[in-house]
Amino acid sequence: MAEVMHNFDRYCIHFFNSRDCPHGDKCSYPHKARYEVEQIQYSPGNEYFLGKPRTNQRICRFFLRGNCIHQQNCHYRHENVTDIVLKGVEKSTNNRSPKGITNMNVPSTSQTENVLNKNSINSNLDLQNKEIRISNQEISPCQNENEGTDNKSIAEEGACASPPLTHINDSWVNAPEFVPKSSYRPKSYAEALSPEAIAEKNAKKELCRYVNKDGICRNLTDCTYLHGEMCDMCERLILHPYDEEQRKRHRQECLKQHEKNMELSFAIARSKEKSCGVCFEVIMEKANGEQRFGILPNCNHCFCLSCIRKWRQARQFENKIIRACPECRVTSDFVCPSMYWVDTKEDKEKLIEDYKKALSRKDCKYFKKGQGRCPFGNKCFYLHAFPNGRKCDVGPPLRQRRPRNTEADMDVLQHLMLWDFFDDRDFPWQSLADDLEDLVSFFTDSDDSDWSDYEFIFD
Amino acid sequence: MANIAAQRIKREFKEVIKSEEVAKCAIKLELLNDSYTELKGEIAGPPDTPYEGGNFVLEIRVPETYPFNPPKVRFITKIWHPNISSVTGAICLDILKDQWAAAMTLRTVLLSLQALLSAAEPDDPQDAVVARQYKENLEMFKLTAKHWTNVYAGGPFVNSDCDDKIKRLIDMGIEEHQARVALSSYNWVLERATEQLFS
Repeated sequence: MAEVMHNFDRYCIHFFNSRDCPHGDKCSYPHKARYEVEQIQYSPGNEYFLGKPRTNQRICRFFLRGNCIHQQNCHYRHENVTDIVLKGVEKSTNNRSPKGITNMNVPSTSQTENVLNKNSINSNLDLQNKEIRISNQEISPCQNENEGTDNKSIAEEGACASPPLTHINDSWVNAPEFVPKSSYRPKSYAEALSPEAIAEKNAKKELCRYVNKDGICRNLTDCTYLHGEMCDMCERLILHPYDEEQRKRHRQECLKQHEKNMELSFAIARSKEKSCGVCFEVIMEKANGEQRFGILPNCNHCFCLSCIRKWRQARQFENKIIRACPECRVTSDFVCPSMYWVDTKEDKEKLIEDYKKALSRKDCKYFKKGQGRCPFGNKCFYLHAFPNGRKCDVGPPLRQRRPRNTEADMDVLQHLMLWDFFDDRDFPWQSLADDLEDLVSFFTDSDDSDWSDYEFIFD
Repeated sequence: MANIAAQRIKREFKEVIKSEEVAKCAIKLELLNDSYTELKGEIAGPPDTPYEGGNFVLEIRVPETYPFNPPKVRFITKIWHPNISSVTGAICLDILKDQWAAAMTLRTVLLSLQALLSAAEPDDPQDAVVARQYKENLEMFKLTAKHWTNVYAGGPFVNSDCDDKIKRLIDMGIEEHQARVALSSYNWVLERATEQLFS
């Protein structure tokens, strides 16, 4: 029989579980029964299980809670809390800023509260501080949770849930002596007597900002700030364990965000296949920066913004033609840019309203904060306001005749009042809209090509 | 050529190839060069018109500014129609001029031209002679249009009377097409055509 090359990274799981491996002798993993492996694992100094090195030096917080599903396969350390505390004490005497786990699960006879000031923990801990802290925690009762302590954390919950430790006595007896510091604050009678006040106090406690930010706090078992509970929508540890208001608020925010996301994905879904009626390209597949829809308010035909704007700038046709939809010839006064296609009337109305609102916050580049004059008057979508913020009613749009020649351009601009008079006398049938069309074509004919992207509205 | 025009013609070309009108042989589109600027269109004469059975070839030039400007279309096949010049083949159709819309395609243009063949607009003529005949003597117009369709577009209708008259003018040393134009313009009255040709 050919020699089987063993993979010594781990033992055969089938043999381990049931002493029966389907691969038999040919299995590439070494066959060891459970009891054999356990012997190896619990042998002193062994850091490995099933041949696999523990990759992380951090404590498994699920093990601390007593419910790690990976059991001995877990990447994190599965160690008894007392061991860690002892190690921590040892470290703290050797190391300037030790990272020992100080969270204790010790039934205590003392009524001493955990008195550690958050600030002192946050600041760089000196050796003495550390010792005090450890001693405090060692003798602080597990039930503090209910009575309110400064040291509430997920890890502590976990520690409480884990089975009582048998050799705890040695460790707390050997703990360094408790020396009160200025940060020590005894619990008042009022606090002891009114649980409501405590609940209120708890609710005011800050959440750990690391957990708040990205869900990971390096001081998993060490952190003095509150670690929130998992929000099942955003999957962040952000729900305050005591503050009902905050929880409610966060849930609402999450729901809102979720709705927004849903709307967005619907919008993307309905925009995905839409192609422009002018260039015939699928708009969402166009080059970056051109994936924008130009929505016409009065009909439901789909164009990309660049195409419909270009069409509306075509000077070789009459205004009536270019202001009409290229497909159905329904006239629309303006084009509303949009990232997504809108199907329903309500969506469209909302989009246009938002668009107008956005424009009305921008300064009109022709009004120039009172310096210039806007030919669109109060029909202009943009903001007409003076530098001090006072809004200005610029009145109806200027009335304008089409110039007969290029020299006439300036004359026309300078003699608006006169032209008004002639208009009224000679062309009383002429509607305001016609004049506006002329006005627009006058400006778009001129060198100032910026007019092209200018939004305007007619009656 | 502007990218957008070439891209669009490419897409339209595919669209026309697949369209049902091509399947029914009503319209046809061919590329004449690789840059998608020159195309050859073909429309069938619509049924129940003098043009029935004929195949009319069109020259289509796509401007760089397409689709913001209409394509330039003219008839290559000679045709007797009030809105189409019998000399140059130029077309008088609003959508090819000021009523163009960017959403129109070569397919819609060809179909519009087909519709123009079945519904002439003598009040907005391109060829004044044809338009006058259309308005004054509709029967004569139909006969002439049928004859032209037969001669130039391969229509089935043969009018031996017309052919005889043309032959007599050819015998006098007149070129065939010139003879046909003269006779058509003068309601196929041989004397007046001769008079006009030799005056």
